[in-house]
Amino acid sequence: MASLPEPVAALASALGRLPGVGPRSAERIALHVVQAEPSLAQHLADTLLAARQRIRLCRQCGALTEPDPCPLCSDSTRANGVLCVVERALDVLSLEKSNTHRGRYHVLGGRLSPLNGVGPEDLRIDALEARIEPEAIREIILAVSSDVEGEATCTYLARRLAGKGVRVTRIAQGLPAGSGLEYADDLTLARALEGRREIL
Amino acid sequence: MWNRGLELGAWGTLGQGRAVHLSRLRLRDFRNYGRLDADFAPGFHVLLGRNAQGKTNVLESIYLLATLRSFRGVGGAQMIRHGATGYFVGANVTGAGDHEIKAYWSPKERKLSLDGRPVRKLGEYLGTLRAVVFCTEDLQLVKGPARGRRRFLDLLLSQTETGYLATLLRYTKALRSRNALLKQSGPDELLLESFTGELVATGNLLIAARHQLLPRIAPLVSASYQRVAGGRDEVEVVYQPAVRGDFAVELSKARARERVMRTTLVGPHRDEVLLRLNGQSALAFGSEGQKRTYAIALKMAQAEHIGAVHGVMPVLLIDDVMGELDAGRRAGLIPLLQRAHRSGGQVFMTCTEENWPVELASELFRWTVEDGVLKRATG
Repeated sequence: MASLPEPVAALASALGRLPGVGPRSAERIALHVVQAEPSLAQHLADTLLAARQRIRLCRQCGALTEPDPCPLCSDSTRANGVLCVVERALDVLSLEKSNTHRGRYHVLGGRLSPLNGVGPEDLRIDALEARIEPEAIREIILAVSSDVEGEATCTYLARRLAGKGVRVTRIAQGLPAGSGLEYADDLTLARALEGRREIL
Repeated sequence: MWNRGLELGAWGTLGQGRAVHLSRLRLRDFRNYGRLDADFAPGFHVLLGRNAQGKTNVLESIYLLATLRSFRGVGGAQMIRHGATGYFVGANVTGAGDHEIKAYWSPKERKLSLDGRPVRKLGEYLGTLRAVVFCTEDLQLVKGPARGRRRFLDLLLSQTETGYLATLLRYTKALRSRNALLKQSGPDELLLESFTGELVATGNLLIAARHQLLPRIAPLVSASYQRVAGGRDEVEVVYQPAVRGDFAVELSKARARERVMRTTLVGPHRDEVLLRLNGQSALAFGSEGQKRTYAIALKMAQAEHIGAVHGVMPVLLIDDVMGELDAGRRAGLIPLLQRAHRSGGQVFMTCTEENWPVELASELFRWTVEDGVLKRATG
């Protein structure tokens, strides 16, 4: 059986290691690249390299950035004293789109996961503690996922930060905006009830 | 959280209007069936045939549609016909409306659709068809380790209480995380505490749900046992939680031992269900026949409880159970099954010619199974 020329197979195998790209897609993209104008491959290679070389993690908050510290950390119009803690760099973008948090961010780089060998020392928790005093942090908002590991991460952070003179809060859990009760599962409803608040 | 306050007497209140039955089954390359198309009416269906002809495979496919797993405890690959690339199981389920299910499985691809739409959340699919299987392995419920009895509770609660399965999965994740931490040398106490919090919160919900379930199924087990066995055996099903007082307190008391054993020693994952017979352990003191009867009674209670909660009797799948019972017990079980189908439900039972229960009335549908072909039998 005839197989793909070696360079094409090598390209397909490299592409196949990317997230969301299965073996069939990898093959299709590889075949497309080798048959298209050479400028396409050149452009792809250039932008790939440039992106990788110019993007780094902000040394302060851990977000993806080109300048270091990142624009969010150096923006003097943002409020100091309130830190929003998220798991991944991508979460900063989601929160920024909602345009409601006007303080600073801190990216943990994951969540506690004993089953995957992720412990406190693998997350940017020391860096978080180191920011409290110099930045005069009053409140730390935990915007972490609500699964088992996310909950445990929140509990862990809350206990570790206790006694440091910072208010530690957790974002609310409950009904998605604009949806009715009939679409919510029991666990969501229970959490929503627990997190109820007075209207006036 | 899960208590819906349903207090229906299972059999009496099952209305005729809310019956659900499997009206059509289609198999392609499933086990030894290259192709099967059959229409089933509500009622009692007997699949007759010699051994190894494919009777149980039909039950397995129905159970698969109901639960998306095999009751033989195998993965998808083993259900593909020899030499084929994947299997297909399709069905029409007729109740208040008509639903069409299509499931395709191959090592590379799985597809599940309900009424032509791909199923995205399992919670929206499960419940379309409900089934309870009776098979020889049920004896392990009585004779086997406690794990089997916990699985029995978990399965029943997952089928009857919304949210139970999600809580069970969270508990299992917290437990496995905590055990991974305990395996480390000198675990970080603060870290361990963080996972303990989640373990206790979800564990307490599981314990509460099991506490509520047991008093509701115990009388059902007892009644079914009496009907099958006749006699005066006294049957008592008792929940014995590993946690007697406050879960969090008991966990902290066990910390020293946990440090040595390196695993979580207290919690609903250590629960037991005591099966008593005349005041003693059925496992230790029951005869073979009593144990088999107990296993059937547990399954019958499962079916009745599901029927009571949802107002619809599940489809009963009876595999090879008759041959193991003596004439007296068979005579007791048959009316139970007939009552199930008379309340508008459906029963599928496999049988060989030798152990064909003569007690069966004439109002049933006979099918023959020979080498992967299912045919309607006359007479």
